[in-house]
Amino acid sequence: MSLDRIKPHLPWITLLVLVAIVGGADSNFLKPHNLISMVADIMPLFIMALGMTFAIYIGGIDLSAQSVANMTTVIATVALPTLGISAAVVCVVAGLAFGMVSGFITTRLLVPSFVSTLAVGGVAYSLAQYLSGQRALYMDATLRDGSFGWMVGKSFGIPHEIFVGGVLLLAMLFLQTRTTFGRALKAVGAGELAAVASGLNVTRIKVMAFALSGMLAAIAGLLFSVKLSGGSPTLANGFLLPAIVAVLVGGTPLTGGVGGVVNTLIGTLIVAVIRSSMLYFEIDATMQQMVFGIILIAAIAMTIDRSKLRIVK
Amino acid sequence: MYKLNKVDKKFPGVHALKAVDFTIGRGEIVGLVGENGAGKSTLMKVIYGAYQPDGGTITIDGTAVRFANPRQAMAHGIGMVFQEQSLITNLTVMENIFLGFEKQFVKFGVIDWKAMAEAARRQLAKVKLDIDPATVTSNLSFAQRQLVELAKVLTLEERIDGDLVILLDEPTSVLAREEVELLFRLVRELTSRASFIFVSHRMDEVLELSDRIYVMKDGAVVDVVTHDEANIDKIQHKMVGRDVDKEYYREQLQKPYDAERVLVGFDKVSVPGKYSDVSFDLHPGEVLCLVGTEGSGRECILRTIFGLEKPSAGTVRMKGGVQTTFKARRAVENGVGYVPRERKVEGIVGGMNVYENMTLSQMKNYASGGILRIREEKELARKWVDRLAIKTPSVFKDCGGLSGGNQQKVVLAKWRSGGSDIILLDHPTRGLDIGAKEDVYDMIREMCDAGAGIILVADTLEEAIGLSHTILVLKDGEVQKSFRGEPGNKPSLFDLVHYMT
Repeated sequence: MSLDRIKPHLPWITLLVLVAIVGGADSNFLKPHNLISMVADIMPLFIMALGMTFAIYIGGIDLSAQSVANMTTVIATVALPTLGISAAVVCVVAGLAFGMVSGFITTRLLVPSFVSTLAVGGVAYSLAQYLSGQRALYMDATLRDGSFGWMVGKSFGIPHEIFVGGVLLLAMLFLQTRTTFGRALKAVGAGELAAVASGLNVTRIKVMAFALSGMLAAIAGLLFSVKLSGGSPTLANGFLLPAIVAVLVGGTPLTGGVGGVVNTLIGTLIVAVIRSSMLYFEIDATMQQMVFGIILIAAIAMTIDRSKLRIVK
Repeated sequence: MYKLNKVDKKFPGVHALKAVDFTIGRGEIVGLVGENGAGKSTLMKVIYGAYQPDGGTITIDGTAVRFANPRQAMAHGIGMVFQEQSLITNLTVMENIFLGFEKQFVKFGVIDWKAMAEAARRQLAKVKLDIDPATVTSNLSFAQRQLVELAKVLTLEERIDGDLVILLDEPTSVLAREEVELLFRLVRELTSRASFIFVSHRMDEVLELSDRIYVMKDGAVVDVVTHDEANIDKIQHKMVGRDVDKEYYREQLQKPYDAERVLVGFDKVSVPGKYSDVSFDLHPGEVLCLVGTEGSGRECILRTIFGLEKPSAGTVRMKGGVQTTFKARRAVENGVGYVPRERKVEGIVGGMNVYENMTLSQMKNYASGGILRIREEKELARKWVDRLAIKTPSVFKDCGGLSGGNQQKVVLAKWRSGGSDIILLDHPTRGLDIGAKEDVYDMIREMCDAGAGIILVADTLEEAIGLSHTILVLKDGEVQKSFRGEPGNKPSLFDLVHYMT
């Protein structure tokens, strides 16, 4: 009983403990400018994780997020010279479209989302390779600053990425808590059969959840591309695992229905702290994905709602 | 001699078996009958080791035994032939027969298929089934599969010392009449090898086959009759018998319905494999009860009205309009509210609070441009919490943590507050205590007074009779008989059971 009571608070307790550990080991970590730049650096990942939250919230997963982000880094770079700021629209629409396709495959063809999104991710990846000619592309500095400079500048000492992430977080929080769509998402995640028996259009809700995930993955790719001033079909590689970790460690279990976007913020910060702690503890960068792999397993094992997996007679 | 002594089994909220005594002698065929929920399945599960009793003892030839699982029960000679056939259809007959016991045919790490086929042929001979043991099971007819299953259980004979007890759970439900006769002849011959416990809804078959019959009701054995003194009428009375308390079902509150208007009209509607040629009209203020055994098609009729099943023939009218698309969303728009049997899975969303559950089916009444007016939702929830006396600390309480009766009230409030006037109730009182049941009965009368029509699949026959204006008795997907149930002139339990079985 008491464990159940603590469980919802575990994510932020974990975050505080981690910050205390790393800060205790090296007080430089706690300096404001260090913390701020750490948060700014994690924003593309956070935005992807934000989208992933919706896919996981309904009990699915979006394995295409990284490939969609890769694809949009290429789209953004290729489209920038001709379209300017409208390149962003192309990116967002492409993300939405790929997400919807995943949603349709999952709901209409009844292909589990871990397969459908993996497959759709393959398509996105190929498209990125085709568009880029399998090369790393670079943005012209003046063109980039003219159209997307606002994304990566600084105001009051705070990098603009943080504002972008913050605005998206607030928008998604509003969507999740205040709209009929958010309520429907919760019902589908927590009790899909009851949602059907209440007359909800569960198919449409699921498709929209995947579309949102695709859209946010695309925005993550766009931001990352602007930040690095270029695009390539492998630019965002290494995002997928930490994004999933961020959602799960934040407290949205794979079975869905609980947690949400604020949890993902905390989860992303945990990921950020773990990532920087590797620097402070001089852990080799090649170990990063292994560490996230281990954390992922631990997070799933701890958060999954086994009562939903039991065979119900 | 297999013997249960004062066996007791409790589940949360249900006393499933009450001090049940049960004996079966060598070579005996014992019948077990009772209404749905009388405790037959629980008793069987205790016998073959799937459940462990909370009280009482089980003895075999005087020695006390205790089974932790069905495999241990098998080691004592107790086998089960399942109603839902337990054979794996893509394996061969012989693989199925020896599933889990292949070791005896293993030589140098590989299976000697010839030896297994030979052994399987011997088992099949016991049940007089002349098929190649290498046949893939999916190629067999249902009757043949039943016999294979029986042969599989009979392998116990070679594996254990002592007597066999074999449970047959509704073995005839998928068989044609001739196949039933063959099976019965076989079972009688096999009494030289084993004793049988025979469970069936078909009373005449139980009477025909059994040496003795146990009659169960409300978790207790109410009668044991021998083959010679058995009489269908008497057994049926025992099965259901209990004086119906008129007040309990709010019969005095039952008012005539409005026969002029039709809320739902079924005209020769069929869903293949589920029910066929079903016709009825549901009027405002009417409680129409669908009565029948499990699998008689009652649930599927509810699902059709709610748009979850699409009929292949016939017309469904709702408030005059012929329905062409069958979608839950459409049904909800037509004013249909569905209170499913699986309250915790389909009724409420556990993890969502009281007001979120209440508005789930009608969110657009509480939203502008997709943005929820949460304050109004809470007001609505508070109003209905008061009105139905829902016991919850607040409207923020997770519905998964409410008691069954209060969950049911939340589900009913969801539909009533949204103005639904065609209410489908699937076992609305299942698992509720008496007080909560009476609350549900009160609500049913109130809804009728407010002009709603109710289609009910009741938990017990008394409930069906006590509550309804009209009763349709279904058997194997067909309407057998329609009864009218004005207060003071209700059909008797026996009238219904007669057409059900």
